[in-house]
Amino acid sequence: MLQRTICRHVLIALTLAVTIAGQATADAKDKLKADDQRVLTYLLGDWGKDYSVTSVDIALRAVRVKDTDETRFRIGSYIKAHPELHEVIRRWGWVTLALTPDEKLIARALVNAERDGKPTPSIGEIAKAIGIAEDQAKRSLSILERYEIIRRNPSRGGAGFNVITRYLKWEPRLDFLFHQVTLADGRQFNTN
Amino acid sequence: MLLVSSKFSNEKVVIDDSSPEGTSRIHVAFEKGKLASADPASTILFMGGG
Repeated sequence: MLQRTICRHVLIALTLAVTIAGQATADAKDKLKADDQRVLTYLLGDWGKDYSVTSVDIALRAVRVKDTDETRFRIGSYIKAHPELHEVIRRWGWVTLALTPDEKLIARALVNAERDGKPTPSIGEIAKAIGIAEDQAKRSLSILERYEIIRRNPSRGGAGFNVITRYLKWEPRLDFLFHQVTLADGRQFNTN
Repeated sequence: MLLVSSKFSNEKVVIDDSSPEGTSRIHVAFEKGKLASADPASTILFMGGG
Protein backbone atom coordinates (compact mmCIF):
# COMPACT_ATOMS: atom_id res chain seq x y z
CA MET A 1 0.00 0.00 0.00
CA LEU A 2 2.76 2.39 1.11
CA GLN A 3 4.82 1.40 -1.92
CA ARG A 4 1.90 2.11 -4.28
CA THR A 5 1.37 5.54 -2.69
CA ILE A 6 5.06 6.40 -3.06
CA CYS A 7 5.00 5.27 -6.69
CA ARG A 8 1.96 7.44 -7.34
CA HIS A 9 3.66 10.48 -5.80
CA VAL A 10 6.81 9.91 -7.81
CA LEU A 11 4.71 9.60 -10.95
CA ILE A 12 2.85 12.84 -10.20
CA ALA A 13 6.14 14.62 -9.47
CA LEU A 14 7.61 13.37 -12.75
CA THR A 15 4.53 14.46 -14.69
CA LEU A 16 4.74 17.91 -13.13
CA ALA A 17 8.45 18.15 -13.92
CA VAL A 18 7.84 17.21 -17.56
CA THR A 19 4.97 19.70 -17.82
CA ILE A 20 7.02 22.52 -16.32
CA ALA A 21 10.01 21.72 -18.54
CA GLY A 22 7.75 21.67 -21.60
CA GLN A 23 6.25 25.02 -20.66
CA ALA A 24 9.70 26.52 -20.15
CA THR A 25 10.75 25.35 -23.63
CA ALA A 26 7.58 26.79 -25.18
CA ASP A 27 8.10 30.08 -23.34
CA ALA A 28 11.71 30.34 -24.51
CA LYS A 29 10.70 29.67 -28.10
CA ASP A 30 7.88 32.16 -27.82
CA LYS A 31 9.98 34.96 -26.36
CA LEU A 32 10.95 37.98 -28.42
CA LYS A 33 14.03 40.08 -27.80
CA ALA A 34 13.69 43.83 -27.34
CA ASP A 35 14.63 44.56 -30.97
CA ASP A 36 12.24 41.86 -32.19
CA GLN A 37 9.47 43.56 -30.26
CA ARG A 38 10.27 46.86 -31.98
CA VAL A 39 9.95 45.13 -35.35
CA LEU A 40 6.66 43.56 -34.35
CA THR A 41 5.32 46.88 -33.05
CA TYR A 42 6.21 48.46 -36.40
CA LEU A 43 4.40 45.69 -38.29
CA LEU A 44 1.29 45.90 -36.12
CA GLY A 45 1.15 49.63 -36.84
CA ASP A 46 1.84 49.22 -40.56
CA TRP A 47 -0.40 46.29 -41.50
CA GLY A 48 -3.58 47.38 -43.17
CA LYS A 49 -2.38 50.89 -44.10
CA ASP A 50 -2.54 51.24 -47.90
CA TYR A 51 -3.47 47.53 -48.04
CA SER A 52 -0.14 46.74 -46.42
CA VAL A 53 0.83 43.13 -45.68
CA THR A 54 4.39 44.12 -44.92
CA SER A 55 6.87 41.31 -44.31
CA VAL A 56 9.40 40.96 -41.52
CA ASP A 57 12.45 41.68 -43.74
CA ILE A 58 11.05 45.08 -44.72
CA ALA A 59 10.18 45.90 -41.12
CA LEU A 60 13.74 45.07 -40.03
CA ARG A 61 15.07 47.63 -42.50
CA ALA A 62 12.46 50.18 -41.44
CA VAL A 63 13.44 50.06 -37.77
CA ARG A 64 17.13 49.53 -38.55
CA VAL A 65 17.49 46.18 -36.84
CA LYS A 66 20.16 43.89 -38.29
CA ASP A 67 18.58 41.39 -40.66
CA THR A 68 19.73 37.86 -39.85
CA ASP A 69 18.11 34.50 -40.57
CA GLU A 70 17.73 33.90 -36.84
CA THR A 71 16.06 37.24 -36.17
CA ARG A 72 13.64 36.84 -39.05
CA PHE A 73 12.89 33.27 -38.04
CA ARG A 74 12.29 34.24 -34.43
CA ILE A 75 9.88 37.04 -35.35
CA GLY A 76 8.24 35.00 -38.11
CA SER A 77 7.70 32.08 -35.75
CA TYR A 78 6.14 34.40 -33.23
CA ILE A 79 3.76 35.77 -35.88
CA LYS A 80 2.96 32.19 -36.93
CA ALA A 81 2.10 31.29 -33.34
CA HIS A 82 0.05 34.40 -32.69
CA PRO A 83 -2.61 34.97 -35.37
CA GLU A 84 -4.66 36.77 -32.74
CA LEU A 85 -2.26 39.73 -33.00
CA HIS A 86 -3.74 41.20 -36.19
CA GLU A 87 -6.40 40.62 -38.79
CA VAL A 88 -3.76 40.72 -41.55
CA ILE A 89 -2.16 37.53 -40.17
CA ARG A 90 -5.50 35.75 -40.09
CA ARG A 91 -6.55 37.03 -43.49
CA TRP A 92 -3.37 36.51 -45.51
CA GLY A 93 -1.56 33.92 -43.43
CA TRP A 94 1.77 34.06 -41.62
CA VAL A 95 3.80 32.72 -44.55
CA THR A 96 3.52 35.82 -46.71
CA LEU A 97 4.55 37.94 -43.70
CA ALA A 98 7.44 35.77 -42.51
CA LEU A 99 9.24 34.80 -45.72
CA THR A 100 11.62 36.94 -47.76
CA PRO A 101 11.17 37.27 -51.55
CA ASP A 102 14.05 34.78 -52.07
CA GLU A 103 12.45 32.22 -49.76
CA LYS A 104 9.11 32.62 -51.54
CA LEU A 105 10.66 32.11 -54.95
CA ILE A 106 12.59 29.05 -53.75
CA ALA A 107 9.42 27.56 -52.29
CA ARG A 108 7.73 28.20 -55.60
CA ALA A 109 10.56 26.51 -57.53
CA LEU A 110 10.10 23.38 -55.42
CA VAL A 111 6.29 23.53 -55.56
CA ASN A 112 6.30 23.93 -59.34
CA ALA A 113 8.68 21.03 -59.88
CA GLU A 114 6.80 18.68 -57.57
CA ARG A 115 3.39 19.64 -58.95
CA ASP A 116 4.51 19.19 -62.52
CA GLY A 117 6.10 15.82 -61.75
CA LYS A 118 9.56 17.12 -62.62
CA PRO A 119 12.76 16.25 -60.73
CA THR A 120 13.56 18.41 -57.74
CA PRO A 121 15.95 21.13 -58.88
CA SER A 122 19.45 21.05 -57.43
CA ILE A 123 20.67 23.82 -55.17
CA GLY A 124 22.69 25.19 -58.09
CA GLU A 125 19.63 25.21 -60.34
CA ILE A 126 17.53 26.89 -57.68
CA ALA A 127 20.18 29.54 -57.09
CA LYS A 128 20.45 30.23 -60.81
CA ALA A 129 16.67 30.41 -61.30
CA ILE A 130 16.23 32.81 -58.39
CA GLY A 131 19.35 34.82 -59.15
CA ILE A 132 21.14 34.28 -55.83
CA ALA A 133 24.32 32.59 -54.60
CA GLU A 134 24.22 28.88 -53.74
CA ASP A 135 25.08 29.64 -50.13
CA GLN A 136 22.07 31.94 -49.89
CA ALA A 137 19.87 29.27 -51.50
CA LYS A 138 21.02 26.73 -48.87
CA ARG A 139 20.23 29.13 -46.04
CA SER A 140 16.81 29.89 -47.48
CA LEU A 141 16.06 26.17 -47.85
CA SER A 142 17.01 25.72 -44.22
CA ILE A 143 14.55 28.44 -43.20
CA LEU A 144 11.77 26.83 -45.27
CA GLU A 145 12.54 23.52 -43.56
CA ARG A 146 12.44 25.08 -40.10
CA TYR A 147 9.05 26.61 -40.90
CA GLU A 148 7.91 23.10 -41.97
CA ILE A 149 7.07 24.22 -45.48
CA ILE A 150 9.47 21.65 -46.91
CA ARG A 151 10.84 18.39 -45.49
CA ARG A 152 14.25 16.86 -46.10
CA ASN A 153 14.04 13.83 -48.37
CA PRO A 154 17.37 12.89 -49.98
CA SER A 155 15.67 10.16 -52.02
CA ARG A 156 14.04 12.85 -54.15
CA GLY A 157 17.40 13.86 -55.57
CA GLY A 158 18.26 17.44 -56.47
CA ALA A 159 18.16 19.71 -53.44
CA GLY A 160 16.67 16.77 -51.51
CA PHE A 161 13.43 18.22 -50.21
CA ASN A 162 9.72 17.51 -50.44
CA VAL A 163 7.12 20.24 -50.18
CA ILE A 164 4.64 19.60 -47.37
CA THR A 165 1.31 18.60 -48.94
CA ARG A 166 -0.58 21.55 -47.54
CA TYR A 167 1.58 23.92 -49.60
CA LEU A 168 1.54 21.78 -52.72
CA LYS A 169 -2.23 21.97 -52.91
CA TRP A 170 -2.37 25.63 -52.09
CA GLU A 171 -4.17 27.47 -54.82
CA PRO A 172 -2.99 29.78 -56.26
CA ARG A 173 0.22 29.68 -54.21
CA LEU A 174 -0.99 32.81 -52.55
CA ASP A 175 1.65 33.06 -49.90
CA PHE A 176 4.60 32.46 -52.20
CA LEU A 177 4.20 35.68 -54.13
CA PHE A 178 5.17 39.22 -53.29
CA HIS A 179 4.37 42.75 -54.39
CA GLN A 180 6.85 45.09 -52.78
CA VAL A 181 6.13 48.78 -53.07
CA THR A 182 8.81 51.48 -52.68
CA LEU A 183 7.72 55.11 -52.50
CA ALA A 184 9.78 58.18 -53.31
CA ASP A 185 10.28 58.94 -49.60
CA GLY A 186 11.83 55.51 -49.08
CA ARG A 187 8.86 53.87 -47.39
CA GLN A 188 8.53 50.21 -48.31
CA PHE A 189 5.66 47.85 -47.79
CA ASN A 190 4.10 44.76 -49.33
CA THR A 191 0.62 44.42 -50.74
CA ASN A 192 -1.30 41.35 -51.80
CA MET B 1 -2.34 49.21 -59.13
CA LEU B 2 -5.13 50.86 -57.22
CA LEU B 3 -2.57 52.71 -55.13
CA VAL B 4 -0.50 53.70 -58.17
CA SER B 5 -3.51 55.18 -59.93
CA SER B 6 -5.06 56.84 -56.91
CA LYS B 7 -3.30 57.69 -53.65
CA PHE B 8 0.21 57.67 -55.15
CA SER B 9 -0.71 58.99 -58.58
CA ASN B 10 1.44 62.11 -58.07
CA GLU B 11 4.66 60.43 -57.13
CA LYS B 12 7.19 57.86 -58.19
CA VAL B 13 6.32 54.32 -57.18
CA VAL B 14 8.55 51.30 -57.71
CA ILE B 15 7.11 47.81 -57.51
CA ASP B 16 9.18 44.65 -57.16
CA ASP B 17 7.04 41.70 -57.92
CA SER B 18 7.14 37.95 -58.28
CA SER B 19 6.03 36.72 -61.67
CA PRO B 20 2.53 35.23 -61.60
CA GLU B 21 3.69 31.62 -61.57
CA GLY B 22 7.40 31.29 -62.28
CA THR B 23 10.47 32.05 -60.24
CA SER B 24 11.53 35.27 -61.91
CA ARG B 25 11.23 38.81 -60.61
CA ILE B 26 9.59 41.83 -62.16
CA HIS B 27 10.68 45.41 -61.50
CA VAL B 28 8.27 48.15 -62.56
CA ALA B 29 8.48 51.91 -62.01
CA PHE B 30 5.64 54.38 -62.29
CA GLU B 31 5.90 58.17 -62.53
CA LYS B 32 2.74 60.03 -61.64
CA GLY B 33 0.54 57.07 -62.35
CA LYS B 34 2.14 56.21 -65.68
CA LEU B 35 4.45 53.34 -66.47
CA ALA B 36 8.05 54.61 -66.65
CA SER B 37 10.03 51.38 -66.94
CA ALA B 38 9.66 47.63 -66.70
CA ASP B 39 12.23 44.88 -66.34
CA PRO B 40 12.11 42.46 -68.07
CA ALA B 41 10.93 44.42 -71.08
CA SER B 42 8.55 41.61 -71.96
CA THR B 43 6.48 42.35 -68.84
CA ILE B 44 2.78 42.53 -69.61
CA LEU B 45 0.94 44.95 -67.38
CA PHE B 46 -2.79 44.86 -66.80
CA MET B 47 -4.31 47.95 -65.27
CA GLY B 48 -7.98 48.34 -64.60
CA GLY B 49 -10.75 46.59 -62.83
CA GLY B 50 -14.42 45.89 -62.86
